Amino acid sequence: MRKTLLSRGRRQLLAGMGAAVALALTAGASSAQETLRFGLAMPLSGGQALYGQDQVKAAEWAVAEINAKGGVNGKKLEMILLDTRADPQVGIQSANRLVSVEKVPVFITAWSAVVKAIAPIANDNKVVQLSVGANSADIAKLGDYTYTTFPLADVDIAAVANYSATKLGKKRAAVLYINNETGVVAAQIYRDVFTKAGGQVVAYEAYDPKASDWTGSLLKVRAANPDIIHIQGLVADTPQVIAQMRQLGLTQPVSSYSAVYNPKLIEQLGKAAEGVIATSLAPGVEDEKVKAYVERWRKEVGREPNGLPYTQYLYDAPYIIAAVFKSLEDKKLPLTGENFRQEMLAIKTFDLPLTGKLVINENHTVAKPVYLMEVKDGKWGQLAVVN
Amino acid sequence: MDYLYTIVILVGLYVVLASSFNLVIGYGGLISIAHPIFYAIGAYGSAILARDYGVPIYAAMIIGALIAVAASVLVALPSLRVSGDYLLIASIGFQLGLLEVFKNVSWTGGAGGLTNIPAALIGNTGREGYVLLVVVVAVLSVLLVRAIAHGPYGRALSAMRDDEVAFAALGRNAVALKVGTFALGSGLAGFAGALYAHYFRFLAPEQFEILQSSVILTMVVVGGLRTTWGPVVGAVLLQALPQAITFMNLPPSLLGPLQGLLFTGLVLVFMAVRPQGLVGAGELWSGSKKEVRDGVRP
Amino acid sequence: MLSFDIVAQILWTSFATSSYFVLFALAFALVLKVNRVFNFAQAAMMIASFYAAYSVVALAEGPGWLGFLAALAASVGMALVIELAGFRMLRKRRAAQMFVFIFTLIVSELVAYLAMLIYGTWPSTIFPSLFWPVTLVGPIAISAWDIPAVAVMVACVAALFLFLRFAKVGQFMVAVADNPDLAELYGIAKERIYLATMIAAGVLVAIGMFLYGTRAQVQPTTSIDLMLFAIAATIIGGIGNLWGAAITAVVLGIVQNSSVLFIPSEWQGFLLYVFLFVAIVFLPNGIRLPRRRRMVRKTIIPGFETADAKEA
Repeated sequence: MRKTLLSRGRRQLLAGMGAAVALALTAGASSAQETLRFGLAMPLSGGQALYGQDQVKAAEWAVAEINAKGGVNGKKLEMILLDTRADPQVGIQSANRLVSVEKVPVFITAWSAVVKAIAPIANDNKVVQLSVGANSADIAKLGDYTYTTFPLADVDIAAVANYSATKLGKKRAAVLYINNETGVVAAQIYRDVFTKAGGQVVAYEAYDPKASDWTGSLLKVRAANPDIIHIQGLVADTPQVIAQMRQLGLTQPVSSYSAVYNPKLIEQLGKAAEGVIATSLAPGVEDEKVKAYVERWRKEVGREPNGLPYTQYLYDAPYIIAAVFKSLEDKKLPLTGENFRQEMLAIKTFDLPLTGKLVINENHTVAKPVYLMEVKDGKWGQLAVVN
Repeated sequence: MDYLYTIVILVGLYVVLASSFNLVIGYGGLISIAHPIFYAIGAYGSAILARDYGVPIYAAMIIGALIAVAASVLVALPSLRVSGDYLLIASIGFQLGLLEVFKNVSWTGGAGGLTNIPAALIGNTGREGYVLLVVVVAVLSVLLVRAIAHGPYGRALSAMRDDEVAFAALGRNAVALKVGTFALGSGLAGFAGALYAHYFRFLAPEQFEILQSSVILTMVVVGGLRTTWGPVVGAVLLQALPQAITFMNLPPSLLGPLQGLLFTGLVLVFMAVRPQGLVGAGELWSGSKKEVRDGVRP
Repeated sequence: MLSFDIVAQILWTSFATSSYFVLFALAFALVLKVNRVFNFAQAAMMIASFYAAYSVVALAEGPGWLGFLAALAASVGMALVIELAGFRMLRKRRAAQMFVFIFTLIVSELVAYLAMLIYGTWPSTIFPSLFWPVTLVGPIAISAWDIPAVAVMVACVAALFLFLRFAKVGQFMVAVADNPDLAELYGIAKERIYLATMIAAGVLVAIGMFLYGTRAQVQPTTSIDLMLFAIAATIIGGIGNLWGAAITAVVLGIVQNSSVLFIPSEWQGFLLYVFLFVAIVFLPNGIRLPRRRRMVRKTIIPGFETADAKEA
């Protein structure tokens, strides 16, 4: 009896799906001619979507603003949005789609693993990848076509380490860090900078991302008798670490980085959150424009954005793109990735609404002032600005 | 074009993965979900050898696959000597444990991943060449699994699945057969990993976790366990369908968890309604003594 | 580094935090022993109970005890669904172990995706605050969470022990664990006992998850990670050995926490896998507790000797 591998019905179904995909591809490829297009690949679903979606909203607001003011030389900006799920594999597919199907000259992405995975595609096809929000130090070394508009890991950690050693006069620091890429690299930077500024790192402990109890590490830290403790973790674990720390009788001040800079920390820790210092790479509500921005969030969405500083950078990114597009249009140059890259480096300095001045260096880094925020009387307030 | 090429390559790689996994759990009857770790070992092995030790890429790919084979024997031998259930736990432990090592050790790039892996073949023949390579490997893998399953080795596997005690009583070494099958399947997965590494040129430990295990598992179960073309159908469906869905412009907040729900729900529905998968053949449910006859659907 | 203060503190906190691990391990081990199933779907029960309690206490601002009842209801409900719609169906079809395993894995993922869809992935706790007041007993800091947690764990373990020893259903469970078909011959309704075991596991899971969720943050995928510990404890403690699993859970917790004092902290997570590997290779039957000789209370039908009769 001859074996039928796939019944007729099933073969038809598969053929139909294949046709549908092909049709969708050709349909997607032909797009409006009068708009200036760029891509945005963000986690719209999955574990990181709570940040990704807020960042997308910020970018959408910016595009709407720019278009309302006449766009770029009369032409409207069009942002093509795709999901990456913060997964390198899905990110690659989205990038491929933006490059091969949508044929954009530039696109914005975030999340270090995704940025790294996409870099070969950007380089091979000469399309500019703007990393906005990812902070792995490796991003500066991913080839000619990957640029970041967000300061990489060394900038904010170095600032807080320096500040603790010099301005706060702390001599003995303990570093508690999460055992993933961000944590490991940032902890090393803190240690190097703090030591160079004249301090001594008396405890240096890693913890597993899945940990729920830090008693052992905290006791080691306590035994080392530091006068400040720097925690490099994620929003999921840092509040727990601080809680357990206080419960074990460690009263030293705590510093951390932008991951803990959100109102939920205060909610979860109550009094124990007092004095916690966090870094932020964007100005806070002391700045008028930022204040208005946050107000708009409260009014339209009913809450503050998740990861406020990151959304500020995402709001500003379309402005960078618009500025470069304008320059290219004025010079009557075709909007290719190569030209975008050259023009962006030629312009070099951008004045952005929510994050201030930005200088994009040829070595793929940017330098920005670091804002140190502190919890005082149950609220986040600006402590200092470090350049 | 690159977009399509990437899809074809991913489908091809998953065909290899699903077929080899089918060999392990379907024909071999071995309960393991640690297939992705051998995928990872092949990928990392080949990438590190080529990038840091200057081994020519094709040699590195083969060595990567061989390392995967060695690792699989290391896992399977001690656990299978005890019982099949232990292989499951041992394999999960091995997968997660080795991933921990990858995340902590600097020469694998740590948790941030391995970047700047040298590319293979594309310089000479362009992307089309690589696509062709992957398709050829995929076809060969499917044919290989088919030849094994329908040949004397496959008959021995079938006999072992049916009644291991009788099998041993006839003087056949069940443990050796199981370890051999596990090693072969894992070696194929390792080779697929090497192919992946030198095309995408970036590896991160998070791509090889338990989630990846259930993706491959879904492909095999939905496609049809113990069939030749089932894993192929499963791989095509589960790679192409999500891409097709993204063209449908669904609201993104629904998309992610909904996709996950869709695919896990799909597996459950299939298990309840059509356990032999899309390309089903014969009585699949039990390790019963009924003979599996090709093409007969219950 | 090994001063008395530090050792004592670690011992106490590890012991207190092992409370929920003991409950998770017991639930897993119980289902494995009686129903002979690796119930990876326990993660689904854990997710259900946590988010039920979270919904009642954090979202609807209800009192803690109501949240606990919700957790119980959700966990037992999920256990019922898994047993009736899942395991029972698979048993009826004489499904191979492979399929049962795939089923449990997929169910866990399905429920995790559901939770992600409904609740999002932001880490959350049952009570809005993470902070528990602390009292110092000598050098040891004892938080207000520790004592109730330990008390609950001890109570549950004792209750389970008494249940299995003296309650009718409990004794039937032990019988079914030993030899289901023989138990059926004696008139024990096998299917009902399987159901009862799942319900018992559901109760243990709900209590454990309530304890965990009042001390640590939970995301939909956390339960799947917690399961690994429970499984490791069960395997190392010996399959079929409930109290071995419980003790192993405590010991593993203490060892994992104190390991920070001896090995570089990055490798703390790796330790669990090392133990698992060692256990599988060198101790395939688990760590055996000395078993007291028990009087055989089974009636032996002449000419029909079973393996169990010989073992006693």
